[in-house]
Amino acid sequence: MMLDVAMTKRLKHFDLDLAFSCAPGELTAVIGPSGAGKTTLVRLLAGLEKPDSGKIAFGEEVWADAEQRVFLPARKRGLSLVFQDYTLFPHLTIRKNVAFAASDEDRVDELMSMFGISHLASCRPSAISGGERQRAAFCQALARNPVLLLLDEPFSALDVANRRNLRSCLKELKSELNIPILHVTHDLDEALFLGDTVMAVESGRIAPDWLKEQQAIQRHLAVSGLSRAGVGTSVHTSEPTAEEPALLGCG
Amino acid sequence: MDWTPLILSAKLAFWTMLLIPVVASPLASLLAFGRFRGKSLLDAVITLPMVMPPTVLGFALLVVMGPRGFMGGLWEDLTGNRLVFSFAGILMASLVFNLPFAVQPLRASLEKLDPRLLESAAVLGLSPLSAFFRIVLPNCLGGLAAASILVFAHSLGEFGVILMVGGSIPGQTQVASVAIFEAVEALRFDDAFRMSAALIPVCFVVLLIINKINARRS
Amino acid sequence: MKRICSLVLALCLLVPSGASAADLLIAQAANFTPVMKEIIPAFEKATGLTAQATYASTGKLYGQIVNDAPFDIFLAADEKRPNKLHADGLAEKPFIYAMGQVVLWSADKGFCGEDWKATVLSPAVKRVAVANTETAPYGTSAMKAMQKVGVWDKVQPKLVFGQSISQTFQFASTGSADVGFCAYSSVFTDEGRKGCFVVVDQAPPVIQAACVLKSASHPDAAAKFVEFLSSPEVQAMKLKYGYK
Repeated sequence: MMLDVAMTKRLKHFDLDLAFSCAPGELTAVIGPSGAGKTTLVRLLAGLEKPDSGKIAFGEEVWADAEQRVFLPARKRGLSLVFQDYTLFPHLTIRKNVAFAASDEDRVDELMSMFGISHLASCRPSAISGGERQRAAFCQALARNPVLLLLDEPFSALDVANRRNLRSCLKELKSELNIPILHVTHDLDEALFLGDTVMAVESGRIAPDWLKEQQAIQRHLAVSGLSRAGVGTSVHTSEPTAEEPALLGCG
Repeated sequence: MDWTPLILSAKLAFWTMLLIPVVASPLASLLAFGRFRGKSLLDAVITLPMVMPPTVLGFALLVVMGPRGFMGGLWEDLTGNRLVFSFAGILMASLVFNLPFAVQPLRASLEKLDPRLLESAAVLGLSPLSAFFRIVLPNCLGGLAAASILVFAHSLGEFGVILMVGGSIPGQTQVASVAIFEAVEALRFDDAFRMSAALIPVCFVVLLIINKINARRS
Repeated sequence: MKRICSLVLALCLLVPSGASAADLLIAQAANFTPVMKEIIPAFEKATGLTAQATYASTGKLYGQIVNDAPFDIFLAADEKRPNKLHADGLAEKPFIYAMGQVVLWSADKGFCGEDWKATVLSPAVKRVAVANTETAPYGTSAMKAMQKVGVWDKVQPKLVFGQSISQTFQFASTGSADVGFCAYSSVFTDEGRKGCFVVVDQAPPVIQAACVLKSASHPDAAAKFVEFLSSPEVQAMKLKYGYK
């Protein structure tokens, strides 16, 4: 089902004013400077905040309509959200965390195997590494077969190896899941790698100029030999590495 | 020595300890997570028993729990018995008196919880009530345990409030603290000493347990 | 700000406190308070001496006295404590200064029938307040009355015990206890007037004794006070508040 957004929200220094759509199987990367309102956008879509005006609709369902005073709370939307900092429930094992909102046990096992964390099933979140926690968070998000996937800088806190690994995982899963995915990142690389559409947000508004600017900077850096061009839809930089790290499980 | 007052004190402390989380949890949650006008007012009302002189609180409870008071009247309608001068009455007084001692540490424990845990729970489909029992409570068991044990120790020593609403009925409302007071008044110093000597080790052990729990949490 | 505070503090300390200036220090059992509050100004007028009283339960005052509290004279609610002080060499021979009477008081006008025995036995009366029979003389007297008419055993399950006669009255006036064995003097208070009472004839009079303390720093003033206590003026005041 299609996600349709056209709404505004008053923030501290500016108003968030966005209108866009995201189709099933499509990943919209949201990029922009910090404080641009990206996280607020995610929270609005998740149902953790209400828009001041406008509408958020998912297919036929109206999730929020400020004028009609309609608001569907987060727990009724059936979506999944992965934060930058893995918020797994500390009192549950990894398996119980992943299976938390899932109805299909097999799907849980499948995902855990896919993301390479099956061996951590009975561990507590505090006992495993950051990369492993984020994988578990992904599994938890996907295990419930969400209708929409929201990702708020899900790889920012990870090291290079894990980041590349999970990026690839995500790219592969995109078509399999066939749901709209919104991916917030501050990494232009990542946005261009993953996004079918790249949406730049600056001061609460869609800013295509900002994006062009960033891409120009990248090209300049590439030309002056400061980085190596990588895989993607257009010229962009990636972190210089000596070798490709071993991919764990996924990909 | 007559053990009845000591047993009664233990019974009162035990029941208070059991019931206080039930009363304190929703209030602590409201204060920790709620965003509403009058929150500071609620906080002040809950803390009131901590700062009021026990006799003042006791008198207020006497009026409210008496047959003409709204609590006492309701109780009498429901059970046919008088609330004041009964074990149920002193238990209720004990709950009121101990409420701030349970709400404060519990609230602190709840506030330490990452709010994103609750957001995560909401996004994953839990209702606020389910989230409370499945996410919040398991993550603040330490705070709950500390609050409960503190309340137990506190109840053992309760005097002023129980004195006001209990009526010192032997076997029903004459708890150890009251019995000791009466023994002193009646110049039965040996009895007073014996009962006190029995209470002190119990309080000591309870405090050791509290310290152990707090040490383990930090 | 700090200077103002210290200045105020210094002034407070310099202002003479009334306590040390009084010519006579009285330890008074709480139940006799309203009477004593009238006696003192009359005494001061008659003798030109100043007097200061501390009001508390007999037990507490006794405890303070045996721990060298600087009172000159002790007016108790019973005979036991003054007798004990005398036996222990801490006080002069005690004398009776007032006699109290036990009444059955109720906030509910329906419970003041002549036959108090029937009232306490009635199923409509669920709770009967009485002062601690061990430590409060009014409680002891009430108990003796109930034993005398043979209802003591039957009334046991209904009894609630006040720590003092004033707490007993409190139980009765708030309606928590349907009736209470109170002091006749409580009838004359504002709260007391709201209810009704019946005199418990079978209750022995509550003898309130007083004694001058051997450690008194103002023995002459104390002697004058003792004399004043037997004056007709004081007698009238006592009757006014329900004492003999």
